[in-house]
Amino acid sequence: MNTNRILCAIAAIMLLGCTKENADEPMKPENADFKGTVTVIYQDQPFDNEGIVVNFIPSDDGSTASITLQKIRFVPQMPVTIDVTIPDVKLVSSPTEITLSCEETIPLAMGGEYPRYKVTGLTGKLSGQNLEFSLKFGDYPTSYKGTRP
Amino acid sequence: MRIFATDMLAAIFIGALLAVTDANDTTLTPSRISVLKEAVDIRKIPSPVSQIRSESLKREGIFRPNQLSSRVPGLFIPDYGASLTSTIYLRGLGSRMENPVMALYVDGIPVLDKNSYDTDWNDVRSATLVRGPQGTLYGRNSMAGVLSVSTFSPSDHDGFLGALEYGTANTIKANALAFFGNNVLSAGFRHGNGYFKNTFKGSMCDPYDGISLRWKHEKALSERIFLSNSLSASASREGGFAYGRYSDGILHPVSYNDEGSYGRLNILEGLTGRYSGEKLSVDIAASVQFLSDDMKMDQDFTPEPVFTLRQKQLSGAGTLEAIVRKNASSETWIPATGFSAFWKGNRMEAPVLFKEAGIRTLMEDNANRNIPSEIGSLDICDSSLPVNSGFRIRTWGSAIFHESVWNRGNWQVTAGIRLDYEAGTMDYDCNSLLHYRFVPIMKSDRELGVPYSGRISQSSLQILPKFSAMYEASEGLLIFTSVSKGYRAGGFNTQIFSDILQNLTMNALMDDLGVHLDRPSVSVGAANTKYSPETAWNYELGLRGSKGKLKAEASVYLMDVRNQQLTVFPPGMSTGRMMTNAGRSRSIGGEMEASWASGRFDCHISLSGCDARFVEFNDGNNDWSGKHIPYAPATTTFLGAGYWWPVSIFNSVSFRIDGGIRGHGPVWWNEANTIKEAFKVQLDGRAALSFDKWEFFVRGTNLTGTEGMAFYFKSVGKEFFSKTKPRIILGGITINI
Repeated sequence: MNTNRILCAIAAIMLLGCTKENADEPMKPENADFKGTVTVIYQDQPFDNEGIVVNFIPSDDGSTASITLQKIRFVPQMPVTIDVTIPDVKLVSSPTEITLSCEETIPLAMGGEYPRYKVTGLTGKLSGQNLEFSLKFGDYPTSYKGTRP
Repeated sequence: MRIFATDMLAAIFIGALLAVTDANDTTLTPSRISVLKEAVDIRKIPSPVSQIRSESLKREGIFRPNQLSSRVPGLFIPDYGASLTSTIYLRGLGSRMENPVMALYVDGIPVLDKNSYDTDWNDVRSATLVRGPQGTLYGRNSMAGVLSVSTFSPSDHDGFLGALEYGTANTIKANALAFFGNNVLSAGFRHGNGYFKNTFKGSMCDPYDGISLRWKHEKALSERIFLSNSLSASASREGGFAYGRYSDGILHPVSYNDEGSYGRLNILEGLTGRYSGEKLSVDIAASVQFLSDDMKMDQDFTPEPVFTLRQKQLSGAGTLEAIVRKNASSETWIPATGFSAFWKGNRMEAPVLFKEAGIRTLMEDNANRNIPSEIGSLDICDSSLPVNSGFRIRTWGSAIFHESVWNRGNWQVTAGIRLDYEAGTMDYDCNSLLHYRFVPIMKSDRELGVPYSGRISQSSLQILPKFSAMYEASEGLLIFTSVSKGYRAGGFNTQIFSDILQNLTMNALMDDLGVHLDRPSVSVGAANTKYSPETAWNYELGLRGSKGKLKAEASVYLMDVRNQQLTVFPPGMSTGRMMTNAGRSRSIGGEMEASWASGRFDCHISLSGCDARFVEFNDGNNDWSGKHIPYAPATTTFLGAGYWWPVSIFNSVSFRIDGGIRGHGPVWWNEANTIKEAFKVQLDGRAALSFDKWEFFVRGTNLTGTEGMAFYFKSVGKEFFSKTKPRIILGGITINI
């Protein structure tokens, strides 16, 4: 019985040591899905797309990620919703968050590049369970706030 | 292998009977086996009955089941499409798809597949139609009646009967029957160039070539055992589907580009037997049935290459039935107890092929209609797109039934009940494969395959009671009343699968593309494609009488139909319709039939009128409650008369002339009752010069050249009609030696 308690205590101390050491390391980006609200500023009014699922897929080396927004609508009159992927989003990791940035990129939609909604000025962060970013899709200022379901 | 199990059982059953009886070969007594299951004489059946014997069939030009239309009160089998169509309306009830409301028995054997109903009658001795639900004795699909056909027996004749005729549309029809010993061999052949021209192709669209053969062998194995075996086969190849576009009140000529044809091979081996004991008799009937057919259809019926359907099926079935009866003679109580079972397997391939115009209008345009042009547009790169559907359908059922007839004084009371269990499974295996681009965004084609497979099953138990009373009011006058229930079997919608897969493909394509339409995705899947049995209660009051050479029968009825099998527009589907249990209807009507013969003159009249309406029916788009049930005529009329006189300068030479007026209508062609055809009549006739063994004749149908419609439908928003057959005149010779 005593032997078991001693082993458990040693394991707990080792674990604390590891945790402290990992807390100083930058966050490692990983595949994740988020659910939240996309807000598009349309004719100076916010247009909310609620319940939007976003797939966050980092590259193998963790330096970039592609972000896919599923079933979004840029303007209320759009008769369809579309899936839009923002490729080549730069990632910078710190121990507490991953910052996202992208000066300019052509999003992918409907099977190819979709320059009509060119992405500019993307900034954002991924911290803990939350993902938020803002950008311009063409002329439409857009922001997203979501959490892991 | 399982198909043969029922025949094996029958053979074992008969073998067991043979083992306990003497095997003396005695004179044939064909009347020992009735093709009707009723324990009583036809005159005492408590339902309206029409019976037409071979001589009348010949004189009235009835050589196929659909020619019984109007001749039997309330019966309407429109002649359109091809031989597989066999849409039957009786007493205002029926539907153009799936199971019929009338069961067909040939020599006591139920014909399980409706695609085999429409065959040439070359050797029919009599056709008997018992109207009203006959579920207690006949089970499935006898909801509005039973047509029982009896073919010639070896004892009916000795020698040879033959006929050869030629006429309109280069029609050649020949048939021959040879009677020898315990056998009858019959063979028939029919060729016709067709009556309707496909103006797009410049050729006739409904030519026909068919042969049919039957070998019937009957033998009394002993004083008590009688067997009858009938092996028949028929093969045909025909065109069909003479459907013309109807727009702005004008019916345009038939004009479509793709093939419309139907080929069929039918084989039916049926064995019936009777053991007649001192107190009991046992009737058995077993059969093995085989059907192979192949239909090709231009589904849009336009000159544009839109879409086609090919439906190939291979079907095998086995049936077995045994009825034990107390012998009727001098008994006041005649009980009959029976058992029946069947198994049917069907293997069907039904690919729908979308062609250039179909891909464009039915798929691309439908999708692009919802996609703003500034975003882009869908382009399906294939020049043709197959939507493959394969099915394995197995259906089986068994039933036990009992019916007792009590005779006391002037009364005959009948009560019966049947427990009928039926089950089925359908394995479906469907797929489509296409290549597409979303322009201008996609730089190359993308392949998309959509498989869809699985199994659905269903089962049902029906309780089918019957009660009737008949009173002999005076000599020759019978009054009867009955309450009975019948049902039409459930099944699976196979036709809708191409639409389901088409929708699944389009949804998968849009998902693959990342574009999502603001409409419900496919809401109908395989699980929704099964439908349950339709049932009908019938309340009947009638009288039957005869006086001298006058025979007459009249009845009134009320039929209450529940779980009615109706075609609906499923939500989320673009073009498809499918059968489902969507409503309730009722039919109130009256029927009358009378015949009279005196000296050289004879005549027959058949009349019916009914008011058949939906009580509840919402097809998904509209509520049609209160509307007339479409396709079924409100009235049918037949008036036939014949007269013969001897040709005095020759011995045994006579001349006979027959005429028949057939009418039906009005017919409402759609559920909205907005398209209606008025009552139409046509004149048929026959003139024959008869010698001792020969007869020369000229006969004609629709001599008045009455133009009418046989069928109406909508396909992809367009309306179509099929016209009734034009004037047909044939001349020929018969021989009887």
